[in-house]
Amino acid sequence: MSEQPVLVIGGGPAGIEAARGIADVGYNAILVEKRNVLGGTPELANYAALTPDFRDAGEAMAEMAATVTNNPNVDLRLGSTVTATTGSSGNFEVTIKNSKGSEKVSVGSVVIATGFQHFDPGRETQQYGYYEYDDVITLVDLEKMLKAKKVVKPSNGEPPKRLCFIQCVGSRDRQIGNEYCSKVCCGVAAKESIEVRQLVPDCKVFIFYIDMRMYGYWENEIYWPSQEKYKVNYIKGIATEIIKKGDRLLVRGEDTTMGRPMEVPMDIVVLSVGMEPSAGTREMAAIFEVKLNKYNFIETTGGALNTVGTSVEGVFACGATTGPADLEDSISSASAAAMKAITVVRKSAMAG
Amino acid sequence: MSRAPNVDPERIIEKEHLVQEGMDISGHWNRMFEQRVIWDYTPELLDKVTDVEGGESFGWCYQCAQCIPVCPVDIVGDYGPRKIFRRVQTGEDLFDSADTWQCTTCMNCLRVCPKEVDMIQIMPAVRQEAVLSGNVPEELQEVFKNTVDYGNPMGESPKKRAAWVKKTTHEVPFMKEKKKAEYLWFVECYPSYHPRGVDASVALARVLNHLGVDFGILGADEKCSCDSQRLAGEQGLFEECAEHNIKQFKRYKAKKVLVTDPHALNAFRHEYPKLGGSFFETIHYTTFLQDHMDRLGMTHELGVKVTFHDPCYLGRHNGEYEAPRNMLKAIPGVELTEMGRCRENSYCCGGGGGGMWLDGHMSDHVTMRLSDQRVIEAVETGADVLAVCCPLEVSRFEDAVKSTGNEGKLVVKDIIELVVESMGPEE
Repeated sequence: MSEQPVLVIGGGPAGIEAARGIADVGYNAILVEKRNVLGGTPELANYAALTPDFRDAGEAMAEMAATVTNNPNVDLRLGSTVTATTGSSGNFEVTIKNSKGSEKVSVGSVVIATGFQHFDPGRETQQYGYYEYDDVITLVDLEKMLKAKKVVKPSNGEPPKRLCFIQCVGSRDRQIGNEYCSKVCCGVAAKESIEVRQLVPDCKVFIFYIDMRMYGYWENEIYWPSQEKYKVNYIKGIATEIIKKGDRLLVRGEDTTMGRPMEVPMDIVVLSVGMEPSAGTREMAAIFEVKLNKYNFIETTGGALNTVGTSVEGVFACGATTGPADLEDSISSASAAAMKAITVVRKSAMAG
Repeated sequence: MSRAPNVDPERIIEKEHLVQEGMDISGHWNRMFEQRVIWDYTPELLDKVTDVEGGESFGWCYQCAQCIPVCPVDIVGDYGPRKIFRRVQTGEDLFDSADTWQCTTCMNCLRVCPKEVDMIQIMPAVRQEAVLSGNVPEELQEVFKNTVDYGNPMGESPKKRAAWVKKTTHEVPFMKEKKKAEYLWFVECYPSYHPRGVDASVALARVLNHLGVDFGILGADEKCSCDSQRLAGEQGLFEECAEHNIKQFKRYKAKKVLVTDPHALNAFRHEYPKLGGSFFETIHYTTFLQDHMDRLGMTHELGVKVTFHDPCYLGRHNGEYEAPRNMLKAIPGVELTEMGRCRENSYCCGGGGGGMWLDGHMSDHVTMRLSDQRVIEAVETGADVLAVCCPLEVSRFEDAVKSTGNEGKLVVKDIIELVVESMGPEE
C-alpha cells in the first residue's frame, strides 16, 4: 500500500510550515485553508512587523506561502473547509467542501493548525470602553496603523502626544474565563511601543503592566531596548477604568510601586488583548472529536514530552491551536506535528 | 523603626473642584493631601537625567528592587535607586531634590543590580549639573571652597600639611629633599590634619621605618586626591587637584604610590589615568603590609575581640577584602569576629561620595547616621574594638560610639594602631 497524504488544516504560519515539512521529506500534504489567501492571522490582521525580530510580516508570510504554492507534494485547497470525517488513524476519509461542492479524500493522518483569534475587548469586565471610545484601540488596531506607517488618534486624525498600553486585557482573568497568560502580548506591546516611538518621536509611551513576561531573548531583544533606547515608561499596575474627559482619555488606576492613586491623561489607549481559540479550532475539534481543554483550545495529551498529540490517534495539533503561542513556538510545534503525522502514514503503509 | 507620621494635617487640602490642564476630575479624590501627587507622569524629568553623560543607565531600572535592601541609606531612611527612579518618573526633578545628595556612592546597589543601573556614574553626573547651577547644600559648598583655597576640605593651612611629622620620633623624609624613593607615600588630608588620622600616620611611619622601607612624602606639595569632591559633583575641582598631584608624581618619577585612604586609591587607580596619571601603581597600606607582618616584632598579646569594617572604596570598589583581615589575624591576641554585613555586603560608614560633609543635610532625611547604624552592628558582635583602615572612618565611628551611648563598650582603631600596640612601646 502506498503512503496516504497528510491533511493539514489551516493556512497560517503553523499549517504552512507543517505542509512544507511533510513535502520536503517527500510525503504528500493536502493543505486546506478557509480563506482564499495563505498567511493566517498575520495576514488577516495586517501585522506590520513580526515579534521579536521586526521582520516585515507581509514579506515573511509571502515567503512562507511560496514554499507550498506550486509545490508538487502539496495539494493546496484555498477557499475550502473540512466538513466531515470518518475512519481512524492511518485511514481517515475526510470531506472537503469549497464553492463548487464537496469531495471525499483519503488521508493517513491529520494536523490541525487552525490557530487563535484575538480577544474581543467587548467582553472585558473592566470599564475600558473599547466600543465607546474611538481612541481606545487594541494591539491589532495599532498593528494596522503601524503597517500604514501612520499612527493617529482615530477620533480626530491627529498624532498622539501620549499613548499607553494596558496589559493582560482578556488574559489571566477568572471572571472572563481566560485564566492563562497569552504569552505574546507583552512582547507585542513592547515591539509596538518601539515602532510608535520611531514613527511619532514626540509621543510619550507608557506600558501599564502586572508582570512583564518577556521570556528568553525577548527580554534583551525588545523589552530592554524599548526602555533603554526608546525610553518607553513601564508602570507597574494596570489601569482599572478609562473615563473620557473632553477629547482625551483619563486612565485611572493605582501606581502600585508608589502605593498611590494614578490618573493619567492619554490620547490613545491600546488594549493588549490576548489569544482565544479561533472558530476554526472549535469547529475542527468537533468534527474530529478531539478533546478541548477548559479554555476550548485543543488539548494535547502527551504532557511536556509530546506537545502535538491529541486525544484522537492520528490527529495532531500545532501552533496556537493548542494554546497561546508566539510565532517561534508555532513554527517549532508545526515541525513536530509534521514529523509525527508522517510517522503515522509511513507506519500504516509498511503495515498495509 | 519608628517613622514620622505620613500625614501632616497642615498640608491636607480639600478642593471643591480639582482641575488639571483644564480637565475637571472632581470626585472623592479631591479630598486629599498635598504630599500626594497623582496627576500625570513626566518622562521629561527622567529624560533630563538620562540625557546627561553618565546618567544614561538611570532609565534602565525595571523595579526589581534588589537595590533597596542593600542601600545603606534606606536602612535608616527612605532611599535607593529603585525609589529615586520612581520618584523621578512621577515628577521629581533630581537636579533640585534632596535625593541628589543622599547617595554615598557605596556601590552596594550596583553590586546586585541586574540591569547595571550605575549610581556611581549617575550621581556625580547629576550633581555636577546641580553644582553648575549653584544648587548645592551649603555645607558641601564650603568644602568645595576650602579645597579650592587650601587644597584640603577642612580649610586647614596647606603649609601645615606635614606638621604631623613632628609627632613622630621616626624619620619621615620629604621628596623635595630626598628626590627619589621606592614608595611615594601619599598621606592625604584626614591623615595629615585630623588628630585621629595623625595617630594612624604616626603609627605607619614607625612601621615603615621598622621595615626599612625606602619612602618619602610630598608634604606641602600634596593636595587632596579629591575623589570624594568629584563624586559630590565637582569634576572641575577634581581635575585641578589631580593635575597638581600628577605633576608632583612625575617630578619624582614615582613608580609606586602608597596610600592609607581608599578614596585616594580609587582616584589614582581609576580616575588619574584618564588625566595622564597612568605611570605609577597605587597600593593600599594593608595590601602592602599583609606580607610583612612577621617582620614587625609584634610581641604584645592584645587580648581583644576585634570586628572589622570594610571600607566601600577598598572592598567593593577595588576588590581588596583579605589584606586587612590578614593583618588583623597576624596580630597576636586578636580574635577576629565578623559583622553580619561584611566584605561584599559591607555597610557604608556614610562618609563616601561627599557624605562626609553632608551630615547636616542627611539629618533631615534619616533616623540616624549611617555611622551610628554601623556602630550598633559592631557592638552586637560583642567586639571590644572596631578596626578600620580608611581615614574617614575613625572620626565618624568614634562620634557614633558616643551618640549611640556605647562609650566604654567599643573603641575604634585603625589597624595600624593595633599593629604598633602589639609592637610595644617605643624603645
